[in-house]
Amino acid sequence: MSESTMTRRDFLRTTAAAAVVGTAAIPLLTGQKKGKQAKVILIRHQNVVDTDWRVDASIISQMLDEAMVNLFGVKNAEEAWKKVVKPADIVGIKTNVWRYLRTPVELEAHMKRRIMERGVKESDISIDDRGVLSNSVFARATTLINVRPMRAHNWSGVGGCLKNYIMFTPSPPDYHPDSCVDLGAIWKFPAVEGKTRLNILLMLTPQFHCMGPHHFDKEYTWLYKGMLVSTDPVSVDAVGLKIIEAQRSIYFKEPTPMRPPVRHIVAAEEKHGVGVANLRNIELVKLGWKEGALI
Amino acid sequence: MGSLLLLLPLMMTPSDTVSPAAMQKLLPTALFEWTFAEPSKTYTGREIFHYMDGAGEVYLAYGFQRLLVQRYARPGQEEILVEVFDMSLPRNAYGAFTNMQGRGPAVEIGQGGEYKSGLLDFWKGRYFVCVMIDRENDDAKKAVFGMAAMISETITEQGEIPGIIALLPQADYLPETLRYFYRNEILNIHFYVADKNLFHLNEATDAVLVRIKSDKSYLLLIQYPGSTEADAALADFTRQYMPESRGSGVVRTENKKWTACRKGRNALAVVFDAPTQAAARKLLDKVQRRIR
Repeated sequence: MSESTMTRRDFLRTTAAAAVVGTAAIPLLTGQKKGKQAKVILIRHQNVVDTDWRVDASIISQMLDEAMVNLFGVKNAEEAWKKVVKPADIVGIKTNVWRYLRTPVELEAHMKRRIMERGVKESDISIDDRGVLSNSVFARATTLINVRPMRAHNWSGVGGCLKNYIMFTPSPPDYHPDSCVDLGAIWKFPAVEGKTRLNILLMLTPQFHCMGPHHFDKEYTWLYKGMLVSTDPVSVDAVGLKIIEAQRSIYFKEPTPMRPPVRHIVAAEEKHGVGVANLRNIELVKLGWKEGALI
Repeated sequence: MGSLLLLLPLMMTPSDTVSPAAMQKLLPTALFEWTFAEPSKTYTGREIFHYMDGAGEVYLAYGFQRLLVQRYARPGQEEILVEVFDMSLPRNAYGAFTNMQGRGPAVEIGQGGEYKSGLLDFWKGRYFVCVMIDRENDDAKKAVFGMAAMISETITEQGEIPGIIALLPQADYLPETLRYFYRNEILNIHFYVADKNLFHLNEATDAVLVRIKSDKSYLLLIQYPGSTEADAALADFTRQYMPESRGSGVVRTENKKWTACRKGRNALAVVFDAPTQAAARKLLDKVQRRIR
């Protein structure tokens, strides 16, 4: 057995050193600011979703546009979408349709509309989840947009933007070992690498805890009413995880690390070189509703 | 020969696979005007990933063999989704149930069941069953309970609860926190110990994790086929997790709580996150009498 075994005590040790709460987030916080940097927009709106989880199409559309304007540092939404899509592009929107917590169709429709406004033919746009490998538009895609809700996951700790691309492998179970630690490797696949222009991690009603495989209970969600937007899938997941861990501490009234520990986010940066997991290297811009931001 | 005999109780092999047709017979064709919405689907072994992604690993870690999914529809009503997991052995079905127990109130269906927020799950014999609706209403909830009860009655076999459960100090732990398993991946879901399998968990072992009522510490019990396997696991765990304990079997960890372990004849007992060394030792004393 290797001496380099990672144990719970290693997490605890780092926790003590960083003097922060929540073991799983610790690796995200260590180290000095150096190396790659990333920018993440957190935007929230008090009325984007109601207590019955009905989504306001107009508000969620405005939120995405405003986030993109800030992300790309441009004057308006039209300019922002120019940074993402060209008229000649073939665009695949990788969504997530998990029955309990799917990407809102209102947001999918808005993205499609914006992409068509850029001059992309409707036949060159597809929105898909589990069928991306057999989807002819995704097969020809020159641009990908990655959008899904954040949720706790019984095997990988959390499901976020990184995990959303597991459907790009013909054999997802190959990426399940060690709590899906190597999900970042999928982002080097030819069908994916260099094509993703935008990552949107939805935090409208995030699920912060689960009690079993494909388990869902509204009790373990809350109306956060936000979204995280970046060109970097790792950094949106890192920030999203931090928010979820903060909510877990509030709900459980004690530090309650994700179970199992989230390993794939740090590994995406450190092992696969995909993006930025270290919060010190992430410029977080907060827009909109501030109450209960948790970060 | 002696060691082989010791292995026999734990090296339980799966009984014959149940055919999809036989599993289908466990389900009612209709109830309260809900009828089949579409033909059922079955997923065998790793085909479970066609139905659910990474979450399928949890069932595989419990010896999953086959899943039957049946949807029921009634005009103007919630769809009822029924999942019947053939877990091959009662201990696996029981384990899958304990893996998610504590969600909500217990129900008297099967050999153990719970209901909350539209999901009723139970185990009986070799089966773990989920009956669920997305949004609760009185009629749909009544149908969920009715459906689950009918399935439970159709399953004629009863399963034995693994013997290790009887070794727990029954009055001391929170029942809803009990997790039965035999794979390191499941242990790490409920209490992360290490990425490596320090306790040498495998199909020939039995393990149970509970939280203690009085101080919320964790008690882990593991039974091995024999003393040799228990010795090896103890050596690996103490060397890699608590090297500074120098054979004392107790250490104060970085969160200022105590971890302690002790070996019985063919079993290990480990206490994590006890508030004091004395509390850890007291609990182990109590357990050791049972695993001697």
